[in-house]
Amino acid sequence: MIVDFHTHPMMIKELLENSPDLSRAVQDVFGLKFPAQPLSIFLLEMNEAQVDRAVLLPLDCTSRHNCVIVSNEQVAELCDKHPEFIGFASVDPGDPAAVKKLEHAVKGLGLQGLKLNPALQGFEINDQKSAYAIYQLCVELDIPVLIHCGLSWAPSGLARYAHPLLVEEVVQAFPTLKIVIAHFAWPWVNEAVMLALKYPNVYLDTAILYSGTPSNAYQDVIGNKVGKLVLERSLREKVIFGSNYPRVDIRRSVRGINDLNLSPELCQNIFYDNACRILDTERSKV
Amino acid sequence: MKSIIERVTITTVHETQVINITDVVLDIVKKSEVRSGFFFVISLHTTTGIFINEGIFDVEADIIDTVMRLAPDDGSYRHARYLPSDGQMGVNAVSHIRSVLLGFECFFPIENGAPVMGGRQTIYFVELDGPQERTLVVQVFGV
Repeated sequence: MIVDFHTHPMMIKELLENSPDLSRAVQDVFGLKFPAQPLSIFLLEMNEAQVDRAVLLPLDCTSRHNCVIVSNEQVAELCDKHPEFIGFASVDPGDPAAVKKLEHAVKGLGLQGLKLNPALQGFEINDQKSAYAIYQLCVELDIPVLIHCGLSWAPSGLARYAHPLLVEEVVQAFPTLKIVIAHFAWPWVNEAVMLALKYPNVYLDTAILYSGTPSNAYQDVIGNKVGKLVLERSLREKVIFGSNYPRVDIRRSVRGINDLNLSPELCQNIFYDNACRILDTERSKV
Repeated sequence: MKSIIERVTITTVHETQVINITDVVLDIVKKSEVRSGFFFVISLHTTTGIFINEGIFDVEADIIDTVMRLAPDDGSYRHARYLPSDGQMGVNAVSHIRSVLLGFECFFPIENGAPVMGGRQTIYFVELDGPQERTLVVQVFGV
């Protein structure tokens, strides 16, 4: 079994056709400019990569960019129709109704986690005023939060909002909150790894895209910068496979992990077991 | 003189996939009712191929294996970087190179309402970066 913990349902033809606002937001705000493909291609891509489940990550950045790039309702609908998908919610911390919307997304729509993208949503990860009530609700609902950290390829994304050191105060304030730091927070890999080493509920996803193939990037970051021994000894239960599809294809991302020649036990953890530690496995059917 | 263009959509299901499109193409040629002329088959993509060869599985496999060996997955390629024009990683150099090796088109004459093809000639469409939804164009010219 393989779970891809980091996919964006944003280049799905069925969602974009007849929705010029969404098409424009996907292109101008998120920065995806290639032709959309039918939903069936997403599922076939998962199949070809031998990925069994994919976490779908929408994005509500209304207060900063006046758009919702795939709504929680659309994610829920995709998940209802396709059990391969695990839906996460997005709420905008700049929205006074964010807490209510998250509660509805989880209790009403059945979504199973929260995605925050501080670089595009333009909020401080450690801002008690805008974000802490959202984290508190995540604890109460027992859902994980995946936080974009590091480089943002979105044209107007600001990396300064996405520094992983900002996460540490949140971890200390909410020690039981499961936090996934996305992208290994590249280029702030050491800082992200430090947090995952120290705090039991901090995880890292492998959606590392900056240059080269996924195999090149994983080798540079995980193989050389972090070191496979550190991974095997100290991060066995902390790293989760995520591709960042469709910014890169899932097939080559899976191969990139396999190319690291990690122990079979660690591969099993990265591809599946660690995702299960974070998700409610009964609800997610993983 | 007629000039008929038809677009054919193909949903591929594998990363590399060889698809015999002979019947699809010849059906379009037949429906055109062109008695004397020629037809082209063209892929609209840069990571697919079109080639003509004998329609048996081992030849298909040998051709694809050879193309993959000539442009190996683990080679070092310049096209392995973020593409701002696309908003995605351009990491499919092998697919582009294999596409060049196979070509993107084929062409046959039409005589007395039938394509002039050798008995063993089969028209193949090849996916080299799938799964994807692909489009190929068949253009029939003639009278």
